[in-house]
Amino acid sequence: MSGTDLTILIAYGATVVVATVATLGVWISTRSKRPVDAHRLAEFEKRWLLIVVAILVALLAATIWFTPYGKSTPANAQVVTVGARQFFWQVNPARVRVDRPVAFVTRSSDVNHGFGIYKGHRLVAQIQVVPGKSSTLVQTFHETGVYTVLCLEYCGLGHAGMRTTFEVTK
Amino acid sequence: MRRLLARYLIASTVILLVSGFLGVLIRGSQAGVGKLDDNTWYALMTAHGLGAFVGWAGFAVMGLALWVLDELGYELRRAGRVLAQATWWLMVTGVAGVLISTIAMHFAGSWVFLYPLPFHGAQQWGRWATAVFSFSVLLAGLSIVTWCLAILHTVVGPTLHAVKSSLANRLGVALGLGYLWPKRFATNPTPVAYPVIPLTVIGIDMIIATLPLAVLLVEMIVQAFSPGVHVDPLLAKNVLWFFGHPVVYLLLFPAVAVYYYLVPKLAGRRLVAGNVIAISWAIAVIANVTVWAHHIYIDYPDHSHQATINVFMQPITFALVIPSALSLYSLGLTIYRSDWRWGVVETSLFLGLFSWLTAGLSGVVNATIAFDKVVHNTLWIVGHFHQMAIVNIGFVVFAGIYYVLPNVYDKPLWSEALGKWHIWLTFVGVTVNSGFWLWQGLNGAPRRFAELPSGYEASTRAALPFVAMIGFAQVLFVINMVQTLRGAERRVVTVPRDNLLYAVEGMITFLAIILAVGAGAAGFFLGRATAEHSSGGSGVTTSKTTTAQAAPSPGRAIFASAGCGGCHTLVAAGAHGTVGPNLDAAKPPLALVVDRVTHGKGAMPSFQGQLSALQIRTVATYVAAATAR
Repeated sequence: MSGTDLTILIAYGATVVVATVATLGVWISTRSKRPVDAHRLAEFEKRWLLIVVAILVALLAATIWFTPYGKSTPANAQVVTVGARQFFWQVNPARVRVDRPVAFVTRSSDVNHGFGIYKGHRLVAQIQVVPGKSSTLVQTFHETGVYTVLCLEYCGLGHAGMRTTFEVTK
Repeated sequence: MRRLLARYLIASTVILLVSGFLGVLIRGSQAGVGKLDDNTWYALMTAHGLGAFVGWAGFAVMGLALWVLDELGYELRRAGRVLAQATWWLMVTGVAGVLISTIAMHFAGSWVFLYPLPFHGAQQWGRWATAVFSFSVLLAGLSIVTWCLAILHTVVGPTLHAVKSSLANRLGVALGLGYLWPKRFATNPTPVAYPVIPLTVIGIDMIIATLPLAVLLVEMIVQAFSPGVHVDPLLAKNVLWFFGHPVVYLLLFPAVAVYYYLVPKLAGRRLVAGNVIAISWAIAVIANVTVWAHHIYIDYPDHSHQATINVFMQPITFALVIPSALSLYSLGLTIYRSDWRWGVVETSLFLGLFSWLTAGLSGVVNATIAFDKVVHNTLWIVGHFHQMAIVNIGFVVFAGIYYVLPNVYDKPLWSEALGKWHIWLTFVGVTVNSGFWLWQGLNGAPRRFAELPSGYEASTRAALPFVAMIGFAQVLFVINMVQTLRGAERRVVTVPRDNLLYAVEGMITFLAIILAVGAGAAGFFLGRATAEHSSGGSGVTTSKTTTAQAAPSPGRAIFASAGCGGCHTLVAAGAHGTVGPNLDAAKPPLALVVDRVTHGKGAMPSFQGQLSALQIRTVATYVAAATAR
């Protein structure tokens, strides 16, 4: 699990707990026979709208900077060409240096594929490989060892077996 | 209306049972129970996805939407009736065509049939299968368009009580704009009923969203027979999701209309809603057709504008949270301190609202680019939409069925208790199974894998008892429906409720939970044990290529890491690929293997750049030796 995965797990887990408590609150409230002021609740909906908008704006402001887009290939990058075809990868060269950016220039010669880089069970980075265009994923590895490539876009019969490895060395 | 509604509900329920069964088969196969061959697995996945999503959930809420309008006094007029009938026939024929093209003709392009995959069937399916599949989806698409026309034709009718007569003004009234501009979109005497608003929104949006897809589907039918015709794959991807996002709301918005209608009725008070709710639907009608690219956040080819489009679509997607947030507020507070009876209909709607909330929250994660890059095309997504489709939309469908049986058809439910068991078991089964998917997704498990990489066996097997629980719950549902429709004598428990009965009930419930948890735990440990046995380490190695031998030779290691097993069968390496020649049968001599791996031939690529001459020699020696025996 990556740091991002952990962030998702904690944030999602916490909001689900809040949601569950609120739901149980409504459930228990149906035992009560006290009348409600429906008009006041409807009026409060405006404030609820503002709260929701504020939360969404905050989430947007906190996350929009972390898109994978617009990373130009640095001058010192190691360029790796990645060929994708039903149902195999051709990664060349299959050995790169640690702590130096790698530009994976991916191309597909048939259908859509997904170039997904794994270290163990951690999905390190991914990019869709659309036929007819090149797609470049820039990634710097800070950990040496063998990385596995899986296909993360369904591409037909051999999709699950479409895998290869490359190595990050000192 | 009674007959029309019955036809929609019966047909969609039959489709649920068929596609649900396929779902159990493919999840079971993934866990190693009743293993299917790979293409069959993908073909069943295609049928399951389209069948359950459009043919069950979509189709059923389309029927319920027509019923809600009728209840509110918006009767189908002549044209509306013809369109509603046409919708039914188009959908039934479309779903039947999808089943034929996938199960009989082996089309396995997945239910999103990402262009140009339908034309690269790897000898598993041909152009006829692609043509029949495309045509069938086209019929289902047309069914959606005729339904939209039926809805729009009905909502702008006389019941709207619009003061002005122009069509544009009446559509504005039906969209709820009268709540914001009472003079401009005036009505007399009453403002538009809330359930009409989401139906008008989706009626407009699905016409806009479906027409480009229809053009793509026609192109695919033409291309099946004239291979010279082509479309840009990136454009096709955008067109697919331009339809693919709104079609999700073809499920949600009619379901919201049912919530808006049934919840206040059962709570015995008006919907707690201010005029502000109209703002959310005004946002929805625009945002719904301008957020498609959040399904392709991970697409950003060089020299294209896709990345820019994707960035803009994150805030627009966030705006689409507002209709859900306000609706959940209104519906939740309508139930708050009300006289909510907690019968089967009430329970189903309440659990549906809860699931809408939790599945909506996992949707916010997908909508955030920074998060999507680690969950895109993992099982996280699968967990998100199964929860949304079954225990939110599906529970509206079940609530609708349980409600209309006594109230529209004068068929009191055979057993209310059995109905509650159905709802609760489905809720627990789906929620826990989706929880496993979310968890597996965060741990990198890819979606749409007939066989998952090793390391996920434990959670896949642990989820299986809950899948069985979902299936079992539907059996209870069918029994209840058959008995109700037969008019069997109602089952009412007349035993006096003393403490002993409560104790027995409690014990049975307790035992059932222990049994499910125990079976899940057994699956977990069994899965973990087999995983450790087969891979001998962690990481996403495909279990296929790592069974059998204990100490891998260097040649075997290259065979596995270069992905040879993706296409070739070599029993010694535990590889069962069926794309290229079966090496065990071909028994190629050393020189031939060296030549093919070095230079490639036909579909076989050259590995010259990727593998060194020594590595090629090593893997070739291994293959020649392993097959010569």
